[in-house]
Amino acid sequence: MHRILWLLVSAVGATAWGVIALRRGETINAAWLVLAAVGTYLIGYRFYSRFLARKVLGEDPSRATPAERINNGRDFVPTTRYVLFGHHFAAIAGAGPLVGPVLAMQFGWLPGTLWLVFGVVLGGAVQDFVILFGSMRRDGKSLGQMAKEEIGPLTGGLAMVAILAIMIILLAVLALVVVNALKDSPWGVFSILCTIPIALGMGFWMKVIRPGKTVEATVAGVVLLLAALVAGRYVAESPTLAPWFTHGGVTIAWGMMAYGFLASVLPVWMLLCPRDYLSTFMKIGTIVLLALGILWVRPDLQMPALTRFIDGSGPVFAGKLFPFAFITIACGAISGFHALVSSGTTPKMIRRENDARLIGYGGMLTESFVAIMALCAAAALDPGIYFAINAPLGALGGTVENAVLRIREWGFVVTPEQITGLAAMVGESSLLGRVGGAPSLAVGMAAIFSGVFGQHLMGLWYHFAIMFEALFILTTIDTGTRVGRFMLQELLGHVWRPLGRTSWYPSSLFAAFLIVAGWGWFLIQGVTDPLGGINSLWPLFGITNQLLAAVALCVGTTLVIKSGKARYAWTTLVPLVGLLVVTLTAGWQKIFAADPRLGFLSHARDIAARIVAGSQDAAVGARLIFNDRMNAVLAAFFMATVVALVIASALEWLAVIRGRKPAATREALYVESAYAK
Amino acid sequence: MRSSGRLDGWTAGRLGIFLSLLKRVCGMPDYQGYLAHMRERHGGCAVLSEREYFEQHMQVRYGSGVSRCC
Repeated sequence: MHRILWLLVSAVGATAWGVIALRRGETINAAWLVLAAVGTYLIGYRFYSRFLARKVLGEDPSRATPAERINNGRDFVPTTRYVLFGHHFAAIAGAGPLVGPVLAMQFGWLPGTLWLVFGVVLGGAVQDFVILFGSMRRDGKSLGQMAKEEIGPLTGGLAMVAILAIMIILLAVLALVVVNALKDSPWGVFSILCTIPIALGMGFWMKVIRPGKTVEATVAGVVLLLAALVAGRYVAESPTLAPWFTHGGVTIAWGMMAYGFLASVLPVWMLLCPRDYLSTFMKIGTIVLLALGILWVRPDLQMPALTRFIDGSGPVFAGKLFPFAFITIACGAISGFHALVSSGTTPKMIRRENDARLIGYGGMLTESFVAIMALCAAAALDPGIYFAINAPLGALGGTVENAVLRIREWGFVVTPEQITGLAAMVGESSLLGRVGGAPSLAVGMAAIFSGVFGQHLMGLWYHFAIMFEALFILTTIDTGTRVGRFMLQELLGHVWRPLGRTSWYPSSLFAAFLIVAGWGWFLIQGVTDPLGGINSLWPLFGITNQLLAAVALCVGTTLVIKSGKARYAWTTLVPLVGLLVVTLTAGWQKIFAADPRLGFLSHARDIAARIVAGSQDAAVGARLIFNDRMNAVLAAFFMATVVALVIASALEWLAVIRGRKPAATREALYVESAYAK
Repeated sequence: MRSSGRLDGWTAGRLGIFLSLLKRVCGMPDYQGYLAHMRERHGGCAVLSEREYFEQHMQVRYGSGVSRCC
């Protein structure tokens, strides 16, 4: 009976892939993509993850998990697997899987689909699962601690510095996505600003008025949030109120820095905790809504399977299909950041060892599915509209008329009326050059929801989608700044002890200031960049995120080899080698490529030449050159760090395989589980 | 056929389970769950009030920073 079911799943998946392969040159329905993806996920989960769990990791349902052994009713709590699955998914899913596939759409929908589906089954989900399992066997130790204990103290320190630097780039690039969505948009700015008093009110309610009543406060918060969304339209249409909320990119960027600083030093109950509840509610709700919307509408994909921009001439970002499709998609296929979550709260809550597969591997498959839905929503847009929103204003020529001509040169037809009409429909003055993925995804989502509920609500849905993305990006920014602050304080504590005291206010303020200044510097660089910033920052973020994944896979391989399973080390080594090839190639090209659109150093030389020729303002030019050199140094630093980590790990692996070191890991001791009886 | 009183009890029970699930998925503190845990495991011990429990939970969960993904 089971066999027949799995044969059926395979047949449906294979048919869907067959349809995708054969219908080239015609439009294809999004339903085929969804079917192909889900079929592959199910097969991957049923067969590959079971192989990983039983053969490679050696799961043992009779072994008590840390949640069962330590069970303190606080962080170590045995939790039903489906609840923990939702909890873990809410922690790993963020803006990355929504934005990456939308940006990579400039290559067409096929590369993104293939990489999202196969990358996750063989790479991303393997990483999440192996790290979650390793951390579970070690009482919930973090990635850095595992690197330190299993590979060496120097490696651990290196990993920590790399994680901190990566976090700063991540925060900057996510903040840039929000700035590009909110600039000159009074509706968006008003509804996002409202989230702050709403969160403060929720925090006050939960802390002072009705302590611990989290659900009622959160439900009230969601209702107020939706009210703010509706009110935003009136603000945007009012000639007296609108100017108060209409701001350029630089002002919004400074506002976000001030917010990030405050949120990371204020007590957690005021902003951080209520916002986290609010964004988790909204995240799960909206993702379910989007899935239902796509299944209901089943849109045709308007974008071609492959565009001419695979040659590297694309306007959204520079670089060829290889390696930049992989770098751009990042999170939905494999995301290094998940290793931090998988070695954080989740492993302390697993009830039984055999639950880890659903939570680690299954959670990541679900994230990839979210990315596939974002991809469908963006591919269902008219390609001309897609490029009008996502190409930088500089590349589009500034005005709607120029943009139409440029887009026609790229081979897509769009009329000025289509562009201005769409902007009016979603209640924006202009959608041109809103680089960053969030606005075009919002247009795609609004189109899908309008297909279900009727066209007249398009503007509301657009701003709902923008608010939903901005809300959890801002949550990432305040939690990220806070985590960054703690990490920095730990590092600074080695320099001067008082700086390491997280409860000492001057030290906290100082560290928070440094972290915000770090990501703020990159943010301002992105906002003032004539090419929109996403152009240079998103690839840098992709490279760092994938390099972090390489670090996680290094640790994972070490865990597998040291537990005496060297013959199965290919399961983590193959994705590791793939990632290294992709990221090191991309990093090399970003630094040294001769094309000034792609290479940081050649761009700097190009600017210098233009200053000499008199066609570039010297002061602005000097700043651009400095930015380019800084980005190049940073990329080189990341690459060198990861290469050093890989070499240190490889030496350790060889020592174990050759028998010079015992194949022994530092797992917690075996205790029999009471659940097994 | 349920009488209306019993239906209310039944609905309230279901609602309680649903709310508890929702809270745990969102990482919110589940005070009833904590009370049950204390009854089962630490019979005679003093129990935190809902306010104390909430504050302790927030410190544990957010005090040292919580990882949220990109």
